[in-house]
Formats: sequence, structure tokens, C-alpha cells
Amino acid sequence: MKKDWRSTGLILGGVVLSAGFLAACSSDEEGNADGENSSGGEGMSGELEIQYFVGGYGDSWWKEVIGDFQEEYPDLTIVEHAGPNINEEMRSRWVSDDPPDVVYIDGAGSSETQMIEDGQLANMTELVEGMELEDGSPMLDNFIVDPDQHDGEIYSLPLVFDTWGTWYDKAWFESEGFEVPTDFDSFMDSMGNIQEEAGIDPFVTSGQHPYYFLRGVLYPAFAAAGGEELLASLIKGEEGAWTSDTTLEVMKKVEQMVEAGYFDSGLGALNHTQSQMNFLLHDNAFVPVGFWLPNEMANDTPEDFEFGFIPSPMQDAGENFAIVPDLRPLAIAENAENKEAAEAFVEFVFSREYAESFSEHTGAIMNVAGVDLSENENVPQYLKDANEMINDTEQVTIYQKPHPMSADLETPVGNELLSLMLGDSSAEEFVEAAEAAASQYRQ
Amino acid sequence: MVQSKKQKNLFLAFCLVPTFILFAIFTLYPLFSGLYYSFFDWSGSSSNSEFIGLDNYRRLISDAIIPQTIWHDYFLVITKVFGIMILAIFFAVALTQLKIKEAPFYRVVFFFPNIMSVVVIGILWTFIYNPSLGLVNSGLEFIGLESWTRPWLGDQDWALPSLVLPSVWAGIGLFMLLLIGGISNVSKSYYEAAEIDGANQWQQFWKITLPLVWPQIKISILYIVITTLNGSFIIVQIMTGGGPNNSTHVMGSYLYQQAFVQYNFGYGATIGVMILILSLLTVLILQFFMKREKVQY
Repeated sequence: MKKDWRSTGLILGGVVLSAGFLAACSSDEEGNADGENSSGGEGMSGELEIQYFVGGYGDSWWKEVIGDFQEEYPDLTIVEHAGPNINEEMRSRWVSDDPPDVVYIDGAGSSETQMIEDGQLANMTELVEGMELEDGSPMLDNFIVDPDQHDGEIYSLPLVFDTWGTWYDKAWFESEGFEVPTDFDSFMDSMGNIQEEAGIDPFVTSGQHPYYFLRGVLYPAFAAAGGEELLASLIKGEEGAWTSDTTLEVMKKVEQMVEAGYFDSGLGALNHTQSQMNFLLHDNAFVPVGFWLPNEMANDTPEDFEFGFIPSPMQDAGENFAIVPDLRPLAIAENAENKEAAEAFVEFVFSREYAESFSEHTGAIMNVAGVDLSENENVPQYLKDANEMINDTEQVTIYQKPHPMSADLETPVGNELLSLMLGDSSAEEFVEAAEAAASQYRQ
Repeated sequence: MVQSKKQKNLFLAFCLVPTFILFAIFTLYPLFSGLYYSFFDWSGSSSNSEFIGLDNYRRLISDAIIPQTIWHDYFLVITKVFGIMILAIFFAVALTQLKIKEAPFYRVVFFFPNIMSVVVIGILWTFIYNPSLGLVNSGLEFIGLESWTRPWLGDQDWALPSLVLPSVWAGIGLFMLLLIGGISNVSKSYYEAAEIDGANQWQQFWKITLPLVWPQIKISILYIVITTLNGSFIIVQIMTGGGPNNSTHVMGSYLYQQAFVQYNFGYGATIGVMILILSLLTVLILQFFMKREKVQY
């Protein structure tokens, strides 16, 4: 089902706290968070273990929320397990059935699908049905994208609303007169123009992680061409999906980009940071990444660089841009030792106040509707622009995928995709190889 | 004083039991648990697992990537053995026989990569190979060989050969020291006698040095083979992650990908069993081929 983001009431809803107040929201002042949506677990005690991955979004938002929660429940001992490798570090705890209570599932080494299949996550259906936002409206009516359901039950709540798209340097494009693409044809024209005038390969992505291109460019391309049905059948690896005519048409577009020499010739060697660095240095003009890009590269961004974001322009002329949201969920472990505190924490986190502060801290969006970012000075301009564009139903259509693609399918498909991007195979060879990978995956 | 049999046994037990216990905990237990898990369908991230008999082994046989990974491993073994041994012998002979004044300095320089972590070496060489900023391509451009530049680690044909250079560079020092030790033990009188007989440096090397340091060479080769089969994983994982399109995956990195990226821990354990068997076979075969009478003059 296509979801109109605007209809969820993201725009101009909720209370806008003054920018000055939030900017000064140091730990000393965190007591201002009133926790009015907490479940009233007064006197809650014991230990609450929270596992969260720290990647492109940083950890400042988590520190703020956990600090506030600690003030709300001073008798509770909160233990944070956080870092860029936390999924690996905590693996032995999960294997030995001694998991933390709350887990934010994101980053390498984590898989929501796998955790649900392994029965590691608690059923949150009842909890979420009883949850309310600050204004008393039911939480279930206020997700931008609804939680995934497995056999009708909810095991995780989508916390971060991220989406992949194509980035460019707005300031550079304006000064050089490069065109910002609006569909695939204009994308090709723009890349041709940049190649000629700037003398660079206009498009870069990470060859070491081909899923950046798969999720960032191909998912929207498949969605635009064949809707959610095609996208779902490809992600599930259904028979004939990868060799379908529509899929081949999309892959032919990629082949066109390869033949025109628009892909960076060295992309096969690049990891994601190197590809992003090349982009910042104007060695390339376009890179497909999620909303976390500006935050992740904050220390390396040249001063005059202005991030511009468009949904990846792979659709035919006259059609809407396609967006496929990528959600990062929060969940409670089935074997949590302090389920009461874990539930209270989940309820505490899902609020408009923290949604707004999430955008300020991370430059991305939390999956709560009715949060107005347009007047907030602490929210970066690219996010406001992107937000506005994504909400314009005349321009953009949002498609949902059923669940993330399994690593067992994504890995071989990504490998074949890289061969195509390097010009070592054709679109036809790619779809055949991907179909074979899907058939292997189905077994 | 004659030791009683009991005392002797007690002494033996005192020496052997603690070692055996440590060996059992740190070697035998992981070995057998790896073997055990290879019969299970287990994601490796939960306590759920299902016994599936030999299914993982059937999958191993039909997996098209496995033969590639084996070939890549042996490619690295062969190139590393030749690369490291030729250079290590050359440097060892040069530093001991040619009476270079700065020999101690060169010893330190050549040994330096050995005290660096392989991870650091991998990252360092990733920068050296960087398609746009790297030393290799810049150097080629500088000497007018633009047509030779390429994204070394991002090219399906060149990525694997590109891994050989850092591996060799990182390995020379240790074996050079080992050989220097061997050469230093060769009595000077042999060389003097050979010189009187009119043997040139080259003949001295082939007839005296090489036969007398053969035990060190043999150990070095075995050591390179074993560490490559078990450890080339690190340099692959850091520099290419097995890509592009599996063109650099060695058995170890493929094991890692299956066990920790694709959540097929049971299958990963099966690959581990395969690595063990292949390493054992290789070492046995090498022992057989390198059997050579100890030379004494």
C-alpha cells in the first residue's frame, strides 16, 4: 500500500519548542523533560540494559533520552551497551539467552528478520496498542510508517525513519549551472554534462558494499517501475521476479549508465566512507546514501559544501520520484530481565518532543508523525528541503518494502550488481545471475 | 640416587597434565565444537539450532564459490612462498655475506612490518592502492605510465594479485631473521675453503649456504603455508572484503561472511572443517616433498 506521508500529518503538527531552549538543553537542564507519556512505573528499580548501535547518527540523542529517563526513574540502574561494533560485541549475550532488555536494531551484524525468526524479540502488540503520544492520541495512529507485522503480531517499533536517495552539492551545482535531475532522462543528461564540463565520472557508490546502490538506487527504481508488488517479490526472491521484463528494463538503465562511463571507474575498490569522501571532494557529483550522510561526514565536509538531496531519479519522465523508507526499529528482548522498565523506556522514547530533538541531533527523522521541522533553526536545511519534497505528493510517491532483504539474497545479488557496475557483465547476465541467487535462497 | 618409578611418573604428570589441560581447552574443545556445529542449521546469533546431518557438507560441495576460494588461497600460498622466500634469502645473504656497513639498520627496516598489526598493514596498503589518491597510481602517472593505472583493489582481475604485495612485504622480515640465524651458524672455514678452490659467490651460495640452511628454509615454507591458509583472511577482510564479486574471497573470509554476515554459522563451521582438512593435507604433502637428507660437511 502506498502511504501518503503528508496524510499522516507530519507537517505543521505538534508543539514547536523554541530553538534556543533546545540548543541549551544540556544535561543539567534535562530535568525539563516531564515524561508525561510514561507508563507511571513509579519506584521502578533494578537494572535496565539498553543496546544501541552508534553509526552515522552519533549517540548524542541517545545520551539525552537515556539521561532524561534516568532522571524520571532515579532508582533504576541503566547500563548502556553502545558503539559501532556493539552488535558483534553483544552477540554472545544473545546466544546465551542473556540479552539486554532493550535493543535498537541498526548497523552491521544486526538483523531484525533474523532476530524475529530466532524468537529473540518480545511481542509488543499489546504494549503498542496502549501507547499514547503527548496529546493523548494513540501511538498506532501516529507512526509515519507502521510497524512490520509477523503473522499479525508486532515485535519491533520502527524508531528511525530513514530513506535512501541521491545527494549532490547544491552550492556547486548552482555555481556551475549543473542541472538537478527530475527523472532518469534528465539524470543521464545532467551526468553527461557534468562529465564533459568537470571532466569527472559523475556517479560514485561503494563497490565494497554494493547494497548502497541496491537500496539507494535500485529499490526506488523497481518501486517506480513496478510498484510495491514488484519490490516485494524481488526482496522475497520470488520465482521469476528478477528475470521479469520490468526488472530487466530497470537494469538496462543501469547498463546505460555503465556504457556512458558515468560510474566512477575506481568504485570497485571503495568502501562507503571513501566513496563519500570522493563525493565531498567533487571527484564525483552524485552519491546514493541515506539521511545520515551529512552527519557521518561532518568532520570532512568542506565549508562551502551544501548538501542537496533528491529521491534517486530512476523513474521515467512524467512519473513521480519514488521513495522506499528504511526503518530502524527499537525492540524488547523476549528474555529481558526487566521487561517493565524496558516497556517504560520504549513508551518514553516515542514522543514528538524526542522526535524533534532526534532531527536536531542527527539530521534525520524519527518515525513519529505530526512533528514540524520547518521553523526549527537547529534542523539542517537539507532535511527541511528533503522533508518538504518528500511530502509533496505531486512529486514523490512513498513505497514500502515488506521487510529488509535477507543477507543470504542481498550478498550474491550485490556481488553480481558490482560486476554490472564495473562493466564486467550485461543487464541480461545480471538478471539471470540474480534469479539463480534467488532460487538458491528459496531452497 | 635412583628415581623410583612413581617419582618419575609424578614428574611426567606434573609436566604434561597442565599442558594437556590447556591444549584440550584451547585447541581440542574449539576443534570438536566446530565439527559439532557443522551438523547444525544455526544462525549463530541465538540459542536455537536444528540438527541437519550432512546437509551443510552437501551444500559445501555444490557451492560454486568454494572452489574459487580454495584457488585464491593456494594462489596466495604459492605467490607468498616464492615471493617471501626469494626475497628473504636474498636479504639474509646480502646482510651476512656482503659485509654491508649498515646491515643492522637494514635488519631493523626489513623486520619493521612484522611488528605492525596486519590490520594496520591492510589499511595502509588500501591507501597505497587508492585509485585516485594512492601512491601506486600516482607513481605510475609520474613516470608516464597512465595506461597502467587501474583501481587495483576494485578490478576483478587485479584485486587478488594486488593482495600479494602487502602480504609478501609484511612477511619478509621474520624469515629473513630466521635465515640470518642459520647462515651465521655456517662455519666461515667452508667459504674460505671454497674460495681457495676457486668457487665464486654464486657457487658458494648454491653449494654451501643453501644446503646448510635447508632446515630453516623448510620450516619457513611450512610456516608461510600454514599461516596463509589460516590467516590470509585478515588482509582480505580489511582490503577487499572478498570482493569485487567474490574475486578475492579466501576460505577464511568466506567462512566469516557465511557465519557472521549471512547468519549461517553452521555452514561457516563446515567451511572451517574444510580448511582444517586442507591445511593438514597440504602440510603432509609438503613434508613429503621437502624431505631431504640433512647435509653435513
